[in-house]
Amino acid sequence: MWYAEGMSEEPIRIVLAKVGLDGHDRGIKVVARALRDAGCHVIYAGLWQTVESVVRTVADEDADWLGISILSGAHMTLVPQIMEAMRQAGLDHVGVIVGGIIPEADVPKLLEMGVSRVFGPGTPMQQIVEFVKSRRSAAHA
Amino acid sequence: MPESLWEGVRRRDRRALARLISRAARGQEIDTIRQLGPPQKPARVIAITGSGGVGKSSLIGKLIEPLRQRGRTVAILACDPESPLTGGALLGDRFRMGAALDDGVYIRSLAACSGRQAIADHLDAVIRLCEEYGFDWIIVETVGAGQGDTAVRAWADLVVLLLQPETGDELQWEKAGVLEVADLIVIHKADLPGADRAAQQVRAALELAGGTIVPVILVSSRTGKGIAELLDALESLPSKSRRGDDVHAFLNEAQQELHRRLRDPAATSLLALWRSGRIDIHEALRRLWELTGSPQP
Ligand code: B12
Ligand SMILES: Nc1nc2c(ncn2[C@@H]2O[C@H](COP(=O)(O)OP(=O)(O)O)[C@@H](O)[C@H]2O)c(=O)[nH]1
Ligand SMILES: [Mg+2]
Repeated sequence: MWYAEGMSEEPIRIVLAKVGLDGHDRGIKVVARALRDAGCHVIYAGLWQTVESVVRTVADEDADWLGISILSGAHMTLVPQIMEAMRQAGLDHVGVIVGGIIPEADVPKLLEMGVSRVFGPGTPMQQIVEFVKSRRSAAHA
Repeated sequence: MPESLWEGVRRRDRRALARLISRAARGQEIDTIRQLGPPQKPARVIAITGSGGVGKSSLIGKLIEPLRQRGRTVAILACDPESPLTGGALLGDRFRMGAALDDGVYIRSLAACSGRQAIADHLDAVIRLCEEYGFDWIIVETVGAGQGDTAVRAWADLVVLLLQPETGDELQWEKAGVLEVADLIVIHKADLPGADRAAQQVRAALELAGGTIVPVILVSSRTGKGIAELLDALESLPSKSRRGDDVHAFLNEAQQELHRRLRDPAATSLLALWRSGRIDIHEALRRLWELTGSPQP
């Protein structure tokens, strides 16, 4: 829009979702608001998503990023499933970031699976915003 | 690249559709889309409008399954507001609609500039793309619409206005400019007390206004009441002509054109000048008209 200085013509589209029965949605809502205020188009898919519905959403919304929030401790089961389903759907160009309660020891394993970055409790919003903005996925450039 | 995207859409590749919609929503490919001519199989385009919180997304979510049972494929274009300051948007309609994994359902969230007419820019082009893909129905959810947000009329075969009980005094119904463009009125959240009374008031207001008789249906997304009746009405009501033969289409088009011209760097620096307080709003407007080559009002 012409009157917002410094705005890019093509806003970054990011899908934010929680998978499974994990009902902790405060963090993801805070992140959603921060990304919106930073000029992103945030597609909030919310609670109780399945792996399949998340991947479908990312494809149909033509998203640049997928952000998953997990505080249930199920990340080591869910994240591999999500990454595999994304690959099968041909969505390798979409960056995946994960936030929530993730023990330090699991972080390298998630990165190994193809996750771009993991953000734990207390992460300043600016850090998340900058990361998402600085690494627009190549296929959408 | 766009070439192969076009082929993709005709092959019913959802990813190609998704990508082309992104481009169209940004104002790219518009000329190509407008030159497509009438679709092979026109979709039934239904706009769902009404103020924020009235339950548009919830209701659309409840329509998906019965529509699929009736053998219809459906694309849903859900508009949510975009901040004029940051350009950011929180698109949350989809969350209320529930997850549909069926290939006959496509849900897409679109940001609509605030201050515009409650629908996303280039919505006509996005609708046309969905028609090219071959959906039977296209449902458009507007941004919480109110008075004067009537542009959607230009692109829809049917406009459904949602109202809810206990939203104010009787005058509310008369004030709502959208009453005039609605082909069907839903008193939503009919599980709440006061729904019958609201329906009576709306019917009275419509009678007072004269004109054609618009059906008023009581619906609750929570209990499922009235959903089947609503679908029957949506299937059977005659389509209004769309394709921009009315004043709303004209105004919307004019607005988009103005918006496009305002992207000009000169217009942007004019704004900066106004923001800095060196010129007042009227002076800014005067210079703006000069810049955009539009006649002075
Ligand atoms: C508040 C809270 C609740 C609330 C949740 C309210 C709500 N609607 O969110 C209630 C009381 C309902 C609750 C219930 C439960 N809880 Co609880 N809860 C918490 C608590 C205290 C704080 C969580 C919170 O809101 N933090 C504030 C937000 C802003 O921070 P955040 O979510 O971490 O998000 C930040 C980052 O992680 C990151 N982030 C998060 N998501 C994302 C996503 C993306 C894309 C990005 C980029 C970043 C990002 O950015 C945010 C800002 O920095 C934590 C303890 C803790 N200190 O974390 C336990 C905690 C998460 N709960 C826990 C448990 C066990 C439960 C229950 C199972 C308890 C029970 N036995 O019933 C239930 C489960 C409920 C359910 N259905 O899932 C455990 C989880 C253990 C685990 N993972 O191994 C914790 C860790 C407590 C503990 N130490 O044991 N809980
Ligand atoms: N009582 C009642 N509440 C409803 C009904 N449908 C939706 N709601 C609630 O109304 C609120 C707004 O719904 P939403 O679909 O997001 O409205 P929208 O802004 O018009 O899209 C939510 O809290 C819903 O739970 C209904 O039929 N009855
Ligand atoms: Mg909505």
